[in-house]
Amino acid sequence: MSREETIARYERSTHRLGRIVSVVTLILLVGAPFVIGSFLGAMPDVSAVVRGFAAVGLVWTVSSVVEFLVYTPMLGSGGSYLAFITGNLINMKIPCAINARDVAGVKAGTKENEIVSTLSIAVSSLVTILVLALGVLLLQPLQPILQSEALQPAFDQVVPALFGAMAYKYYRKNLSLAVWPLLLMSLVFILLPTLQSQTSILIIPGGGLAILLAWLHYRKEKKQ
Amino acid sequence: MNVIQQLSSPTMYLICGGIIAFIATVCVIFAVRAWRAGKAIGMDTAVLKRVVTSSASFSVLPAVGILLGVIALSGALGIPWPWLRLSVIGALHYETQVAQGAAEQVSIQLSGSEMTASAFATIALLMSVCIMWGMILNLFLNKKYTNRLSKNSSSGSSFGDQAMTAMFIGLVSVYIGSYLGIWISGNGRFTFAGSVLPLLTALCAAAVMAILTHLAEKLKAKWLEDFSLALSMLAGMACAALLNTVVK
Repeated sequence: MSREETIARYERSTHRLGRIVSVVTLILLVGAPFVIGSFLGAMPDVSAVVRGFAAVGLVWTVSSVVEFLVYTPMLGSGGSYLAFITGNLINMKIPCAINARDVAGVKAGTKENEIVSTLSIAVSSLVTILVLALGVLLLQPLQPILQSEALQPAFDQVVPALFGAMAYKYYRKNLSLAVWPLLLMSLVFILLPTLQSQTSILIIPGGGLAILLAWLHYRKEKKQ
Repeated sequence: MNVIQQLSSPTMYLICGGIIAFIATVCVIFAVRAWRAGKAIGMDTAVLKRVVTSSASFSVLPAVGILLGVIALSGALGIPWPWLRLSVIGALHYETQVAQGAAEQVSIQLSGSEMTASAFATIALLMSVCIMWGMILNLFLNKKYTNRLSKNSSSGSSFGDQAMTAMFIGLVSVYIGSYLGIWISGNGRFTFAGSVLPLLTALCAAAVMAILTHLAEKLKAKWLEDFSLALSMLAGMACAALLNTVVK
């Protein structure tokens, strides 16, 4: 079988499998509260769910649309299906896939990247499932250690540690591209402190500016 | 048996553990398919192995952080439900916020002492409904969206890779900018009274990443590259634990 045929077959089956498991996961996740409710002897209050969705859910819906538009091109089809099923995108799956792309030396948009990102997200999800399962199993002995006053700040700062390391890795090779988005975003968060809790929404303008600068640089290089 | 005991009963473990086992199986299937496809199109096994090693080593620390989310929510929701939520689809920053918002809708505080069976079922449903949209968009639009992206990238433009790198730089800048904003204006504009810890943690992790990158390049140590992100994060977190005693 030729490379093209192999890829086409892989892609077709990825979409088929991705859709099937997405539907099954959705049924399981929405159905679970009802199954648990019947076990507990009380069903969910649907009107409270509707009110709650209006109060807290709409923000997350907008955030989901942004995440889908931004992350899907980074992850490819297989990686996207899996990442949106397993969650923890920004604090784990996206940096993991980007790091794997660098380790493998593949380029975004290629079939190799699609494969690397799917593999990295699958492995990352399995490690998370394993760590959480072990953690739950050993919750009694682990709880005092993990929640100790000394270690608490370390675990509160997982995401800053992650983005600090990633920032060095990406800024050093693309400093001219990084300066303006960093400056603009810093100013936004300094001047409008209320946005500090809305970081996911600001990914669009931050990323958009970086892409615009990269495009201008690309055009300039092409002309030369 | 009170509600909080029921929420950590074997039946709950069975329901939630069953769903987690299904997702784990899905991950194994996707991983095996990707590995086989990689081999079929001629990718080097050593490269695929490095992807697995670096992804696994990178994921351990954030996973322990996520485990803390399970512990934090277990007081009000029992252990199995937060375990499920944070193993599948959920996100650390999302779960507590939505659970809190949902608890307000059923007029209780998010605590074990106030939890009722009906309140739990309602909170659990709202937690599922609020975060499922990414998956729904994927279900209906992934194929169209990725096909369009493939057409664009195969139409002669080589900008796709640079665009993705730029997008990630923009994303990182949003977070680093937010740490600066938290410090300078987190407790009132230009008061410099907010927490400086996220910024210092990021700087420390970046410094260690710089050292490790330099070493990996100088010693031509590929293995060090694979672990550099995990080690930098560990250093950043250690730095946060140490600095927490002297700064806020």
